[in-house]
Amino acid sequence: MFASPDPSIYGVGAVKSLSVSAVTYDWGLVWENRDLFWWGTVLALQVSIVALILSLSFGLVLALGRMGRKPVTFFAAAYINIFRGIPALVSVIWVYFGWSLLTGYNFTPFQAGVIALTLLYSAFFAEIFRSALMALPPGQSEAGLALGMSRPKVFFFIKLPQATKIALPNIGNMYIGMVKDTSVFTVIGLVEIVRVTQNINSITFQPFVLFTTAAIIYVFLAFGLDFIFRTLEKVLSTPTKGLIALTITSRRTARINSLIHSKEVALPVSSEKN
Amino acid sequence: MDARQGADAMARDTMVELHGVRKTFGTNEVLHGIDLTVSRGEHVVLFGPSGSGKSTVLRSINLLEVPTSGSVKFKGVEYGPGIEGTPKPQRGSALDLRRSIGMVFQQFNLFPHLTALHNIVLPLRSVRKLSRKDAEEKAAESLRDVGLLKWAGSFPAQMSGGQQQRVAIARALSLDPEVMLFDEPTSALDPELVGEVLAVMRRLAVGGMTMVVVTHELGFAREVGDHNVFMEEGLVVETGGKSFFDECSHPRTRAFMGSVL
Repeated sequence: MFASPDPSIYGVGAVKSLSVSAVTYDWGLVWENRDLFWWGTVLALQVSIVALILSLSFGLVLALGRMGRKPVTFFAAAYINIFRGIPALVSVIWVYFGWSLLTGYNFTPFQAGVIALTLLYSAFFAEIFRSALMALPPGQSEAGLALGMSRPKVFFFIKLPQATKIALPNIGNMYIGMVKDTSVFTVIGLVEIVRVTQNINSITFQPFVLFTTAAIIYVFLAFGLDFIFRTLEKVLSTPTKGLIALTITSRRTARINSLIHSKEVALPVSSEKN
Repeated sequence: MDARQGADAMARDTMVELHGVRKTFGTNEVLHGIDLTVSRGEHVVLFGPSGSGKSTVLRSINLLEVPTSGSVKFKGVEYGPGIEGTPKPQRGSALDLRRSIGMVFQQFNLFPHLTALHNIVLPLRSVRKLSRKDAEEKAAESLRDVGLLKWAGSFPAQMSGGQQQRVAIARALSLDPEVMLFDEPTSALDPELVGEVLAVMRRLAVGGMTMVVVTHELGFAREVGDHNVFMEEGLVVETGGKSFFDECSHPRTRAFMGSVL
């Protein structure tokens, strides 16, 4: 009962059947253009990694401003609330075309992409860092201060490492979002994954094959990044968990064990007595 | 008491001197003018009901709480804001003060992201500027002193409360402080773990360390307390020496002891 009706009843049967029969799926295209896809992927990762580093730094500064005194906290809050709400597409067009009109300086697509992502994601990272820093018990800074450490040292050696550990799952999540957002930079001509796909498609007209490939690349990137961030979490977890993490921290462990041994030898009897 | 704290105290080696210390949180004054003198080698015990301000007094000594007014002197140098109505004193920096005073907290406050060893290495490197090798050597020796050398590579989460508190004591001691402050060091511990921490503190007291201890362990206080201070509602109610626990006369002190012992 679901058999195809006679094409002639549509009057356009000839055209329709032609278009259906013309669709062949040329998966060989993917392999033929593998180096284009590869360099598109590399460029997407490069833009997002530079933007990740910049937006983490700027986000941390924003978080501190947000937690600080009155005029500063107001500006930080305003920045966060404005830039959290701007889509990446608007941001990159604004930077690439708008800023160049304003300043007379022409950014390369790479620079514009990095700036656009940094503007947006530093706002998200600011909130992630703020919540992580506020989750630390006040006793942690007090212990550092009571030991005679200065406030900057307490921040960098006691608070920041612990806050980073708390923030890491959220940072990983955001970074996957950043990589996906590089896809909109096709509009400024950055030769990332989508631009590569579109370029090949315009010659071969194989949108299903090509965009399936693009989607698979993004999914694989997300899996890979998830794996990397999970490993980082394990390295920072205490006690250290997992084979890779244990391998990474094995030198520290060996160092401490040899120290224990040397001190035990020096005073073998009283080591377990009070 | 006044006589002991007067001319006699001057002859002794005065370490910490609080005078007229007041502290206000918001509109609530929790310390109404506290005087306290701690001489070298002396063991001062602060006790009293919760909310009496004894922890705030302790935290004023290393300026974790900056008094609203009053004098906080360490070895003759003023670190506090000064007594109301007198000219502002020349103040030493809190950083310098804290480098001579060790502190142990009720909640241990070990750094959970660092091993026991590196909890001690971090202040040794960043405050004492020791090299990595020297700091690790010294930290291992500090751990050995509290019987925890084998635990050097363990993280705080892997240790019992008593062990964590002993690491915290080792961490404070590794910086060679001249005074040690203890803020209810055994209150967060399981009863069976209290003994090991008190043993370390007892040994420290016998070794002549100057100590100020806020505690509910009156047995320990009776044993090591040279100068016992009972506080209530932000005021010192009664003080006394070694025999204080048998001879105290103030009805509030006696009532408190009766309810605790």
